[in-house]
Amino acid sequence: MLELKGIHKNFGKHEILKGINITVEKGDVVAILGPSGSGKTTLLRCVNFLERADHGVINLEGVETNCKTAGKKDILRIRKKVSFVFQNYNLFKNKTALENVTTGLIVAQKLPREQANAVGKELLNKVGLSDKYNSYPCKLSGGQQQRVGIARAMATNPDIILFDEPTSALDPELVGEVLDVIKKLAKEGVTMMVVTHEMGFARDVANKIIFMDSGSVIETGAPREFFRAPKEARTRQFLKRFIDEPEYII
Amino acid sequence: MNRIITYVITLLPYLAVTFQYVLTSLFFGTIFGFVLAAAKLGKNKALKRLAIGYTTVMRCTPSIVFLFLIFYGLPVLFRTTAGINIDGLGTITFVIITFTLFLGASLSEIMRSAYESVDRGQYEAAVSIGLSSIQAFREIILPQAFAVSLPNMGNTILFLLKEGALGYIIGLIDIMGKAYLINGNEMGAHILEVYLALSLIYWTLSIGIERLFKYLEGRFSFEKENKDTITYRRG
Repeated sequence: MLELKGIHKNFGKHEILKGINITVEKGDVVAILGPSGSGKTTLLRCVNFLERADHGVINLEGVETNCKTAGKKDILRIRKKVSFVFQNYNLFKNKTALENVTTGLIVAQKLPREQANAVGKELLNKVGLSDKYNSYPCKLSGGQQQRVGIARAMATNPDIILFDEPTSALDPELVGEVLDVIKKLAKEGVTMMVVTHEMGFARDVANKIIFMDSGSVIETGAPREFFRAPKEARTRQFLKRFIDEPEYII
Repeated sequence: MNRIITYVITLLPYLAVTFQYVLTSLFFGTIFGFVLAAAKLGKNKALKRLAIGYTTVMRCTPSIVFLFLIFYGLPVLFRTTAGINIDGLGTITFVIITFTLFLGASLSEIMRSAYESVDRGQYEAAVSIGLSSIQAFREIILPQAFAVSLPNMGNTILFLLKEGALGYIIGLIDIMGKAYLINGNEMGAHILEVYLALSLIYWTLSIGIERLFKYLEGRFSFEKENKDTITYRRG
């Protein structure tokens, strides 16, 4: 349902993405792993044109869009079907939690306010924030803000949700509540691509792992094989510190 | 004391003139400032340089000098370039033109910095849920930038109110102009009382404007309690 073909991206002379090919099927939970600077986030941002890739084709539900030549309408079409959850939440500071969720429905999709509010409340209930409809982002904890961010991404009923390190900016104590919400969505069959450093999460929730390093996909596989028996040397090296970490036993 | 109050009462009707140029200059200055800010933030390099250059020139010109330049220069400019005689225009028009051009420069800086203070992530989040650039600007960026700009806006209006008093020099009869006339008529017999009365008016106005902006800042701030506790509905 989502196919990325030959995505290239340069920042100046620095080549960030060196031709990425990825296929995502409906219901897939794809975890993208890799060291910092490997281009994971840039790849995700290229999918919904927060960055414009220099070359490559995005095929979404059979409609191909050339990254280089895509016009405003093509971009808007993709953005309406692909939503994004940001590392630092990026909740609209001037809107309440509920308004954050409903803005896309009311402004972009022209849904009547009552209908949008009903959808928004349902989604906020789902992420466990039924008591925070009218709170402004500055009054919410990081974990709560990110859960609103997820509800906002769900609101427009997208084909796929892109998560850009959704828990990296959170207190360790708040990571769990956000991961639980993502897990719940995964179980419901929501298609997603998740850039993450949470290996446990990738192992337990994803059905497909993509390992990237310096702008290329190094290895792709099911989580079981990927974590137990990585094929590539670079992958083993990367996973070493997660696998070999000694456990302290008293 | 009684005399001061009498002077206040004599001067008050002329506040209409003061308000007229303050509000009109503010109106046109805001539009002009918006255009300049858009040019500064835009991609067109020539326009950008022009806007920045204009702002610099304005910042480097004392208001009184610029008022004279407009008052004496504009008619010459119109006569020589277009052959139009604008000597008949009221003095207030020259004051309004002067301060519109001034405000355009300072407001454009306020708008530019307020716009830039809004995190890029806000725009990205808006377009990521399917809003167009214009919708993102209207719904997300503008309300936040407006809140940021309020304290500076208040300062600018106070500046305008006070600098506008210079209009008496080219013969504008606002509260300052009237005070000047009274002194002329009375040969300066009660000059101190007249200016005290004038000060009282300016103080009251300034405090009022300051209060208004403090109130607006609170109202448009997003660092506030839950919306339940607030009874207004924005935009």
